[in-house]
Amino acid sequence: MQKIELNHKEKNILLIDIFLTFFKVGLLTLGGGLAMSPVMRYELVLKRKWLSESEFSSTVALATIVPGSISVNIAYLLGKKLRGWKGLTLSVLGVVLPSFITILLIASFLLPFFHYPKVVNFLRGCAIAVVGQLAFASLIFGKRLIRRISHIVICAVGILMMGVLKLHPIFGLVVVSLIGYWFYPG
Amino acid sequence: MESLFEIFISFLIIGIGAYGGGLVTIPLIQHEIVVKYNWLTLREMSELLAIAQMTPGPISINTATFTGYRLAGVAGSIIATAAVVLPSIIFFTLLTPIITQFKENSHFYRINKSLQLGVLSLILFAVWSYGSAVIRGYLDFGIATAAFLLLVNCEKKLHPLIIILVCGIIGLIFF
Repeated sequence: MQKIELNHKEKNILLIDIFLTFFKVGLLTLGGGLAMSPVMRYELVLKRKWLSESEFSSTVALATIVPGSISVNIAYLLGKKLRGWKGLTLSVLGVVLPSFITILLIASFLLPFFHYPKVVNFLRGCAIAVVGQLAFASLIFGKRLIRRISHIVICAVGILMMGVLKLHPIFGLVVVSLIGYWFYPG
Repeated sequence: MESLFEIFISFLIIGIGAYGGGLVTIPLIQHEIVVKYNWLTLREMSELLAIAQMTPGPISINTATFTGYRLAGVAGSIIATAAVVLPSIIFFTLLTPIITQFKENSHFYRINKSLQLGVLSLILFAVWSYGSAVIRGYLDFGIATAAFLLLVNCEKKLHPLIIILVCGIIGLIFF
């Protein structure tokens, strides 16, 4: 792949800048996952010009192939690209710390309020919305993936294994993937 | 106090299985935390997910920090968060050279697609298990359906967070 020479090849990007940029990305993205990639693109490609558009999109593709949280994966790859292992340590820390700190604050200060009836009702309303969101996520995923009847059948087998036979989700994932392999043309 | 080692292993498994990230991780988290160890009830878990959706960062990290703190204080939250991030780092260190080499390979394409099919069945299962835990009447079902339809129709225009907050306010008024 042809690479365009950009800022990071000519001048050293400061490690503190890497940390702060990824901290900002971590702080600004709610929900995580792929929702984070537009914010990262804006910060790294458009605003700071640390990476080219094609470098960025190939990084995101690679990040979704490997297990783990997508935002952490993207941070790892980009940090490494910018400043090697020092860069990746700071970019991963930067992207993880905002959520870590927020949740720690909520867990230590707000937890006692979670039993107030009003708070319980509010959270229950939110939790119901998350069910709708999950359904939406499966719709998006399904639209992209399901091409034949057999794909639906394979999915149903997976759900049966986890729901009725109560097998471990990882086991279900592996079996579905193994069967699915034969039903996707090369 | 739960053993820090158990917390570490459990979140390491969640980190490994988080293929695709985000909402995909939920069934796995639920299996480890609610079904296997009873660290949280399904009700607490659904509240935690709502909080995770409203706060910055990936769900897996939010859940790890929260559960770790509930079980073993700050030490627990650090151990759980580190455990959930670790698999990505290990996988990348070991696999990046191999993946970049085989990215164009057709077997790799098929493995990737079929893994995603596995992930789809995971999310569909999560819709079912969460739905049956949280939805307890026609009103609840109506709210969930409305949230779903709003997301489908206003994908680009409406931030998912707004829908969650609105549903929370509806809950505050009507429950």
